[in-house]
Amino acid sequence: MVESLFPKGTARFWTALLSILLAFAIGAVMIIVNGDNPILAYSTMIQSSLGSVNNLAATLAVATPLIFTGLSVAVAFRTGLDNIGSEGQLYMGAMAGALVGIYLKGLPTTVHITISILAGAIVGGLWGWIFGWLNVKLKVNLVVTTIMANYLGILFTSYLANYPFKPPRAPIGSTTFVQDSARLYRFFDSSTLNAGFLIALAMLVVYALFFNYTKFGFEWKTIGLNRFFARYIGMNIHRQMLWAMFASGGFAGIAGAVEVLGVQGRFVQNMSPGYGYDGILVALLAGNSAPGILAVSILFGALRIGGIGVEQVTNVPSELSSVLRAIIILLVAAQAVIFAFLKTRRKKHHELGSTVRS
Amino acid sequence: MNWEALFGPSVLEASLRIATPLLLAALGGAFTHHAGIFNIALEGMMLFGAFFAIVASYYTSNWVIAIAVTILVGMIIGLLYGVFTIHLKADFIVTGIAINVLGLGLTTYLLRALFHVKAGLQDARIAPFPDINFPFLNSLGSINEIFNDQSLFTYVSWILVVVLWLIFYRTPFGLHLRAAGEHPDALETAGVSLTKTRYIAAVCCGVLCALAGAHLSLGYLNQYVINVTSGRGFISMAAVLFGGGNPVIIILVSLLFGFAESMSIRFQGIGVPGYFALMIPYVVTILALVVWSIQKQQKLQQAESAPESLT
Repeated sequence: MVESLFPKGTARFWTALLSILLAFAIGAVMIIVNGDNPILAYSTMIQSSLGSVNNLAATLAVATPLIFTGLSVAVAFRTGLDNIGSEGQLYMGAMAGALVGIYLKGLPTTVHITISILAGAIVGGLWGWIFGWLNVKLKVNLVVTTIMANYLGILFTSYLANYPFKPPRAPIGSTTFVQDSARLYRFFDSSTLNAGFLIALAMLVVYALFFNYTKFGFEWKTIGLNRFFARYIGMNIHRQMLWAMFASGGFAGIAGAVEVLGVQGRFVQNMSPGYGYDGILVALLAGNSAPGILAVSILFGALRIGGIGVEQVTNVPSELSSVLRAIIILLVAAQAVIFAFLKTRRKKHHELGSTVRS
Repeated sequence: MNWEALFGPSVLEASLRIATPLLLAALGGAFTHHAGIFNIALEGMMLFGAFFAIVASYYTSNWVIAIAVTILVGMIIGLLYGVFTIHLKADFIVTGIAINVLGLGLTTYLLRALFHVKAGLQDARIAPFPDINFPFLNSLGSINEIFNDQSLFTYVSWILVVVLWLIFYRTPFGLHLRAAGEHPDALETAGVSLTKTRYIAAVCCGVLCALAGAHLSLGYLNQYVINVTSGRGFISMAAVLFGGGNPVIIILVSLLFGFAESMSIRFQGIGVPGYFALMIPYVVTILALVVWSIQKQQKLQQAESAPESLT
């Protein structure tokens, strides 16, 4: 269980913040080695990702799929399920959303969008549920099967986009555009930021309410903390874990469907630059909390957009942002261990002290 | 339909060529598998090797130096992975994903920072790994066509299969390595350092994965393309799990996966979708895991019911 290793509460916040600052320091060295000025690079990064309404819109547009995939992974991790398959679930959901968006005709906009996104959620959810079922019923390693499922999902949807659903004379593997009634509303002409962001915010609220105030949320958390205890006190852990896998895949599926309906307008092969994998990093860094997921998604969105901005002004390639992402998560992983070590030492100290006193 | 083009010797020749990086990385994965490290970082380790091999070959035009640099880079990545997973006891999945993200990010960053190119690097200065010609095979027709004139590391990988099998199953170190995975406490009791054994495994894994990547860029494509591995590390991981770390099964599975990929290319060439052939490694692995899990469950059930039947 990945989750249990990380510190909780304020410790988590400071670990994350320290890691981010350290990563930027390491990034600064890379920028200097590259012959550029790190202060210029970082101020450009902030300016081009957050400095104006347009730039902020671009950042939030990238943050939108990350919120969904972050939620996808967070739901699974909180229930003690190591679902690494959000990327494949995203593609399956994207294709389902696209097909419903293309082939259902004559519906009012709200209905059409709702059905398309639901289709994405259901297909993505099923693509998670299958491997959850193999894990729960047959004890097949979930990490391995969901990694394999990523590639199966990507290959299968690529096949659909290149053969049965490819319009004639289309150059790359993509479907036709969805109906106008299935397009998510865009706030600005100059940005792909769309109503999907509001759906993402709503889902964050639903997620927080579900885990904090509902019976099922409580059961899922309990299963995540200790599934043997959960079974012992009479919870139907298998059924709940399957629902959790469905929900996890569902969020990833929504990520894909929203990308199709709001950004691309159709299914395009290779449309996700690893949003599913980034979702894992988002959930880990955010400690699975709803505000954390929002903050980290915006941070990662700003890094991605800011990286592109830096490339235009300096000689620093935009991939600086993925390097920073990787370093942040490595540092968090390392610090988590250091925190745990300090805690056990303090505890030992405490125990020793108390035995001496008694 | 031209069956000769589909199933002729050239398909088998291509299968061997395609299987080589899968095999090399999987042999690396076998080290960590035996040592009890659940390694999903093969992909990232391969990318580092693929990139630095090209860089070394570009600046020196010498493939021997390229191999030396690749091995060094592989050792560093293996050590880095070891520091996080063994020393700091960080989670295998988190570390693995971080190494994969870092591999893709850093190689792309450096490619563009050093060479100012957009998608890849192709240059006359890059010295590829040599193809090896065995004169005694020349008169053997199809056999010659399939097995002769393969790239250096294709033959090296076959030799490694034998060497690693001997190391894993016939040497004290191999015993320690497998004990590190199966009975780590027993290993410590026997006075062998678990940490040291796992570090050796991580470093060997890094080196073999880096060589796998180097073969991709210098033995196969003779250029560097961004994300050149494109998921091959995970196919290798599948081969490791399928073979349970046994090099002999790993080479057979790698050849099967290589054959599947070369078939998919052929299919594509005659207008038949090759995607389903490309799915074979993943489907095969999932099915194998399911079958093993069912067998394990049955054994457990038998073990549970046995005492009852005695009473």
